[in-house]
Amino acid sequence: MSVQKFFQRRFDTWLEKRLPRVEAAILNSRSVFTFPSWGGFGFLALMVLLWLLATNYENNIIFAVGALLGAIVVVTIFHGYANLAGLSVRVKSIGAGFPGDMLKVELELSQAVTRHRDDILLSFPGGSSQQVAFQNGQQTIIATLYVPARSRGKRLLERLTVESVYPLGLIRVWTHILLQGYGVVYPRPIEGNPQSAADDGDRVEGEATLVGCEDFEGLKSYRPGESFSRIAWKQLARGQGLYSKHFSDPVADPQWLDWDHYPGLDREARLSRLCHGVLQSARSGEPFGLRLPGREFSLAVGNSHRDNLLAALALFEAREV
Amino acid sequence: MGLILWQVSRIGMLWLFLAVLATVLPLLMHLPVWVIAIPFFGLLWRVGIYRGLWGSPGKIVRLLLVFAAVAAVGFSFSRLYGLEPMAAMLVSAYGLKLLEIRQRRDALVVIYLGYFVAAIYALFDQSLVAGAYLLLAFCLVTASLAGIHQTEMVKGSGRPLVKALVITAQAIPLMVIFFLVMPRLGPFWSVPSPTTAVTGVKDHLSIGDIVQLGTSSKTAFRVTFEGEIPPREALYWRGLTFSAFDGKTWKPVSWGFKDGIVRWYGENPAWWRQDLQFNGTPFTYEVILEPQNGQWLFSLLGSQTVSPDTGMTRMQTPLSMYPVTRKLQYRVQTWPSAKFQAEDLTVSRKQIELALPDTVNPRTRTMAEQWVRETPDAEQLIARVLEFYGQNFAYTLQPPALGEQAIDDFLFVSRQGFCEHFASSFVFFMRAAGIPSRIVVGYQGGEIHPEEGYLTVRQYDAHAWAEVWIADRGWIRVDPTAAVAPDRIAMGIISLLTAPVVLAESTVTLDKYRDIPWLNQLRLYLDSVDYAWGRWVLGYQTLQSDFLRGLMGGMDFKRAILFVLAGSLLGLLPAMVFSLWPRGRRTINLLDRYYLAFCRKTARHGCVRATGETPRHFADRCVQLFPAQRHNIEAITAYYEQARYSGSKADPAVLKRLVRSFKP
Repeated sequence: MSVQKFFQRRFDTWLEKRLPRVEAAILNSRSVFTFPSWGGFGFLALMVLLWLLATNYENNIIFAVGALLGAIVVVTIFHGYANLAGLSVRVKSIGAGFPGDMLKVELELSQAVTRHRDDILLSFPGGSSQQVAFQNGQQTIIATLYVPARSRGKRLLERLTVESVYPLGLIRVWTHILLQGYGVVYPRPIEGNPQSAADDGDRVEGEATLVGCEDFEGLKSYRPGESFSRIAWKQLARGQGLYSKHFSDPVADPQWLDWDHYPGLDREARLSRLCHGVLQSARSGEPFGLRLPGREFSLAVGNSHRDNLLAALALFEAREV
Repeated sequence: MGLILWQVSRIGMLWLFLAVLATVLPLLMHLPVWVIAIPFFGLLWRVGIYRGLWGSPGKIVRLLLVFAAVAAVGFSFSRLYGLEPMAAMLVSAYGLKLLEIRQRRDALVVIYLGYFVAAIYALFDQSLVAGAYLLLAFCLVTASLAGIHQTEMVKGSGRPLVKALVITAQAIPLMVIFFLVMPRLGPFWSVPSPTTAVTGVKDHLSIGDIVQLGTSSKTAFRVTFEGEIPPREALYWRGLTFSAFDGKTWKPVSWGFKDGIVRWYGENPAWWRQDLQFNGTPFTYEVILEPQNGQWLFSLLGSQTVSPDTGMTRMQTPLSMYPVTRKLQYRVQTWPSAKFQAEDLTVSRKQIELALPDTVNPRTRTMAEQWVRETPDAEQLIARVLEFYGQNFAYTLQPPALGEQAIDDFLFVSRQGFCEHFASSFVFFMRAAGIPSRIVVGYQGGEIHPEEGYLTVRQYDAHAWAEVWIADRGWIRVDPTAAVAPDRIAMGIISLLTAPVVLAESTVTLDKYRDIPWLNQLRLYLDSVDYAWGRWVLGYQTLQSDFLRGLMGGMDFKRAILFVLAGSLLGLLPAMVFSLWPRGRRTINLLDRYYLAFCRKTARHGCVRATGETPRHFADRCVQLFPAQRHNIEAITAYYEQARYSGSKADPAVLKRLVRSFKP
């Protein structure tokens, strides 16, 4: 096992030097590898059988067709190489998501000359795979793959395997390319209790009470996702429709999600709580803002605002993973 | 590739079906019909499964089918060892495997079996036509291989065949190289041979045997002489000698020698040096013999074979170590004036060559005894008998039937017949007169190809003649047929045939139309093609070392490696050019082109874009270097990024203008 690991590591370093991370990979003789596939080894075994048959019967026709099979193996190396060579691969887009989600990766494959290319398989380790083909003078195709989102941060892509056994399944032609671009992985949302900074003794007295719901502000029409406890049951019973009660909270301003509201927690835990808060606030439809150390996102509503905030949380002091 | 379950595409299945048909159909001539029916049954069931009419067979059904096939082969052939039963088994497996194709891997097994089944056919038939058919069948099997690797969504059912034809065509030069250098080691173990009915001389002679051969224009063998071809009258191709007669049939006798019967090539036993007294200079020739029933070969009198696995018997007939079930090429040296067994015959051998069955043909015996009293000298007696034949007998291929005392009837009543009658009666007469003699069977004459210069001997050249032993002269050929019908020997049997009715066995033979010049030309041309095929392809193993030495100018390891490498490179050139040359419309993305032009401009002024550097990052560096052009750089970068990555439609002309106005 350790020997295997050792060679794996050697291979990875070698590959790292030979095929570094690039914006767009153009497949050529430097990056494309060829080796007989299992089918190819079967074919070679068939050739040996034919050779035995020909030798024992001293039959030159069978010698000739055995030689033909050998020649076909060699010729398909070129066909297989030509099937991948000249292909350019780049990332078109990578989606965002929470840890455990599958991130959508759109790859753009293009070729300068319009050649027929067939039976090309794209796959990410641990991700999905996709079979593509260029036909009828296609110059560009978009392949959609999915990779698992892991922990919060920039989700870099692993080596993409582009492989093909075209045209006869005898020779496997492949490459492992490392593409630039990253997916955004949001923090895992965890419900938390925001505490005002007063708890730390920094804020003005009188605002000490927790999550206040005392000061009734008014009724608003209910939005999906709002807590059931806020539903104005009286109004509903009177048949006036579905409303939710809104309160102004003088203690912890719910419209502001603040890094400092989660004292005693580490960075990731705070981000998880803030993430949960962003999702909750976005559902409420109220304008909300976010305060991170050194950055402030002012009050706003809407999905793009939510996504901006999620991305900010995802990328806050982010590691590349 | 675990994630995708490799289903076999419809196009792949289509070509697989065609490949199965192409590989199995020619075997119909050599295997029972029910064996060939199995793949058809498999195909039919497969179509049924595809249409949803029938279900896939379960494990038990499949197992039962396999047992049934094995049992059927066993019953049908009453053996399992042998080429035909083994081929039948292979075809059955091939057919039944069709039922369980679910994934690419299953299809692959069927396809590889298909190559093998196709190749099996070459064991039964090695003609040029069979070779061409085999190439076609291989193309179809390759097409099915291409078919199962074609992505399902790709259109075009003809594409796999085109691909297969292109690949095969590109592979042929390399195949020739491989074929030439592939080691020919000779059989590793003995293998069962095909049991095919072939025409040719048999190992016994009854009246009527040769006349049957006389109706066939099939080639028996071809001879290439090194140097002059001897006159036609001297071309008596000896195959077998018959010394035992039971009144109806002549059979060979090989015993009666104390010290060995066959001298194989490379051996030099004492008796061999004694038997053959070489005189004069020999001439050499090469024979390509068609498949036949036995191990005997053909050569002229006074010969030794000079090829491995061949030998000479003490009857001066050449022999192969193995049955000649395929074309066989061998070389012979002949001393035309050699004496054979001139010193003496062993006592037992003399008895064998004089033995006659008691009580048959009493009139012939009486006549012989009377004539030997009148003419005691053997050679004078022979001349007298031949004269008797020449004056009183007629040559015909439709002789009247003979009674119980066949030779008496022939010599004294019908007096019409052909070589068998003459040879048989002559040898009987000689033995009755006390002169050791025997019958020789083989071929006489042959046709010289006007352009290629080789000799073709056909079945209708089959002939029987006599051989007598005279002290101090040894065995001497006597052909009583020549005394009766000199034209038969001088011009061949064809000259005696007035109507083509005799060559009735085959309606397509061109031999019937020798009078039509262009057809005769075509016949000769086809014959020379067949000759070249036999000599250069089927018999290549005997030529290989000489041929390679001639081609490479020597025979050593370095040359061989160089030859293979250079030859392979040359042979692969078409494949390389064809597949690697960029074909099709070259359509570099205009946006990329203009952006790269921008990068070149900055590079000329010392700002080189690093590999993999994003346009945004590069732009930042450029702005620092060319602050005056900040606006332009930002615009170019923004436009390029917008067009390239957001996927929105962009006008390359805009970028072109922006890049043109960028002047660092």
